[in-house]
Amino acid sequence: MTPRVPLVVVGGGPAGMAAAAEAAGAGLPALLLDESPLPGGQIYRLPPEGFAPPVVDVATARGHRLRADTLRGDRLRAELAASGAEVRGATSVLGVWPDRTILWATGDASGTLHAERIVLATGARERAVPFPGWTLPGVMTAGAVQSFVGGMGVRPGSAALVAGTGPLLLVVALQLHEAGVRVKAVLEAGRPPLSPRLWLGLWSARDHLRAALAHGRTLRRAGIPIHLGHTIFAARGRGEVEAAEWGPVDPRDWRPRRDRRNFAEVDLVVAAFGLVPNTELAELAGCAHEHDPACGTRVPVRDSAMRTTVPGLFAAGDGAGIGGALSAEDEGRIAGIRAAQHAGALATAEADRRCAGPLARRAALAPLRAFLGEWSRPRPGLCELADDDTQVCRCEEVTLAEVRAALAAGARDLGEIKLRTRLGMGACQGRNCAAAAAEIVGRVRRCAPADAGAIHPRPPARTVSLGALAGMEHQP
Amino acid sequence: MTARRVVIAGGGVIGCSVAWYAARRGLEVTLVDRPQRGKATTASAGGLWARGEAVGLGCGVILYKKALAERGAAAVPPPQPLPRAFLDFALASNALFPELARELLAEAAIDIEFARTSLLFLLYDAGDVAYAETVCRPGSYGGDAVERLSPEDVARAEPAISSAIRGALRVRGDDQVNPYKLAQGLEAAARARGARFLSGVDVTGVHVENGRVRAVGTDAGEIPCDVLVNAAGAWAPEVARLAGVDHLPVRPVRGQIVCTEHLPPLLSACVSTTECYLLQKRHGEILIGSTTEEVGFDPGVTPQAMRTLAAGAVRAVPSLAHAGVKRVWSGFRPGTPDELPILGPVEGLAGYLNACGHFRTGIVTSPLTGLVIAELAAGGTPSVDVGPFLLARFRR
Repeated sequence: MTPRVPLVVVGGGPAGMAAAAEAAGAGLPALLLDESPLPGGQIYRLPPEGFAPPVVDVATARGHRLRADTLRGDRLRAELAASGAEVRGATSVLGVWPDRTILWATGDASGTLHAERIVLATGARERAVPFPGWTLPGVMTAGAVQSFVGGMGVRPGSAALVAGTGPLLLVVALQLHEAGVRVKAVLEAGRPPLSPRLWLGLWSARDHLRAALAHGRTLRRAGIPIHLGHTIFAARGRGEVEAAEWGPVDPRDWRPRRDRRNFAEVDLVVAAFGLVPNTELAELAGCAHEHDPACGTRVPVRDSAMRTTVPGLFAAGDGAGIGGALSAEDEGRIAGIRAAQHAGALATAEADRRCAGPLARRAALAPLRAFLGEWSRPRPGLCELADDDTQVCRCEEVTLAEVRAALAAGARDLGEIKLRTRLGMGACQGRNCAAAAAEIVGRVRRCAPADAGAIHPRPPARTVSLGALAGMEHQP
Repeated sequence: MTARRVVIAGGGVIGCSVAWYAARRGLEVTLVDRPQRGKATTASAGGLWARGEAVGLGCGVILYKKALAERGAAAVPPPQPLPRAFLDFALASNALFPELARELLAEAAIDIEFARTSLLFLLYDAGDVAYAETVCRPGSYGGDAVERLSPEDVARAEPAISSAIRGALRVRGDDQVNPYKLAQGLEAAARARGARFLSGVDVTGVHVENGRVRAVGTDAGEIPCDVLVNAAGAWAPEVARLAGVDHLPVRPVRGQIVCTEHLPPLLSACVSTTECYLLQKRHGEILIGSTTEEVGFDPGVTPQAMRTLAAGAVRAVPSLAHAGVKRVWSGFRPGTPDELPILGPVEGLAGYLNACGHFRTGIVTSPLTGLVIAELAAGGTPSVDVGPFLLARFRR
């Protein structure tokens, strides 16, 4: 008999921790499942056991944001612990079914449970933007740099180019600088949006804006140039990064202007082109999705109570649309409170009262979200960074030339390209390549990337051993 | 003479094979296909088990064992081999593969990954041994192609396979192919001979005049034709109904498959047991199949199937316990009441040919199906009698 659980929260980042804490605090027993041994998510991750204290002393660092993040993470962890929610770490969720059956795995064990309610707080992954040399050792995502520097106290290189878009660029550049890495330039592909409406809205988010401007000033004082409207063109080197080509992009679609390229001798290229929500579980559960231009991919349809179209299933945080850690925490609170209300643990009036604060904060952040969304929305010209030999799918080593050949041979969408080239058939099951491949298909077939087809997610959402599945407990 | 115009509904391996053999004969071919989840060709594992399937290896023994466990020996009849006519058809079709593989490589530069693997049936218990004896009996379907292996023979040939077995049967000639490369190769070769492929197009009507198919309506316009070939797999009844053929007894029978990550070479033969079958493909993945489920067009996968298939795989090949699972998928076999395909004309409707209902054996029977249907479409005599496979057999 499959155990029944009143509420399962999938993911232990800010959204998941807040959801579980709110629900348990309201008297609804909550079970939080997270892949990491300890909750925190990508942003509040604790260093693995046995690693030296970080190079950057977070208590004294000039980058106050780091310190603030650590404090916020600690506070959320304490709130979660005090709420009485049960936390099961090192546990992956492999699938969610429309009847709210959950298949989980930990180590060499797996099992099913039936959740009466689910909050999906699955977070986001970094967008992969293929460019020549992007698979060379020495090319890293912002998250990887942060785990090295912030999490493990490891310096990932000695001279770096930091390229991409969004506020994370400045944070990462600062972290690298403070860790003693020579940051040669920060390349922000986007430019400030022109719409006065977007600027006016920023008033409610002026504190965040001030923090970003402070980061910028610190970088300038350190002599690190910030180039707006520029990006990485290629990473070069034999076996690892030795140099990089970079230059301006067309302001409309971010197409590289190769005629005006520059060179830099670096051993580290940070590629931080924003985040993509992890929607696999919401898709498996049968939630309706819609295209979100800000992140360029599909996100679950939700109402203001964080309800998806599947009854009893809520989605919160960056896994349902990119809004950042603060917004994620508030969405998690709303989802946890509404789940408690759904279970009858909270009266409607009390649930409304508890949601008021998070809703107001989320609303206050919305203009900033809109501003950054417009600034950093991925533009189609980025897919011109890749050349024929660039791997679009690194799991199966499928190059752009092979994708083009498949299109020329009659493939119409991502599904057909997958069957012809094996793109998306590797370990990541298309999680990393699908967005970029959709851009390429859209470009060639002259359709919106959203109409370029999809690589449908299938269980398991995380790789699991056959032995763990063979020993599955409690199947329905 | 003007080429006869053939419209094929369905772009799976059967439709593509008909397209190739028809285009090769000089017919004017248009294939229409719509996107659909759970297409059997792309979901298939690609076993070419002509003999094995005819005697019930592959999914047959898995289903039998499951029925035994659920309902007891008294309620479950022992597995019956399929009729001789099917074995002959499947063997003749299987024999076309080596030549087809060469042709598709030459015509379309597509390697269908045809591999001479043979099929091993592992004997776990006395029931398996008794079953194996019926297959080896003189005059049975096994014939000279089947060989008994001792546990030591198996250990030598396939060191990864469990030693906790009573032996195995090896069926020679039951090999494997990459099913979607096969479909792509057939499509590309057919295109090279002038066939038109309209994907993302739905058949919306069939224009019948004086008992003869005149045109096929699609959401991309009407296509005049002399022959309509219904190769729509599990969806074939929809196309048949549009042509006025109301009782095409084809239904979706879901099968689930578990796919591992890339593994070093672990299995040379395809493996069949009473719990699952396993095939290691060219790229190193091992496919573990499959279930037989009557759930309509539900393209989902289930935790139960993941557990039973994983457990079956680990029992057969213990080291697989540590192998990662990348993906689990499902597809709809076009099932028929007697498990045989439905091929050829129907009474009272000229210019309509069935090429559907291939159930578990569509990959292995695709070449001969394509050949025979192309011959019929061209107005000729088929090289194999389709009498046993006519729709009319269900009315008798």
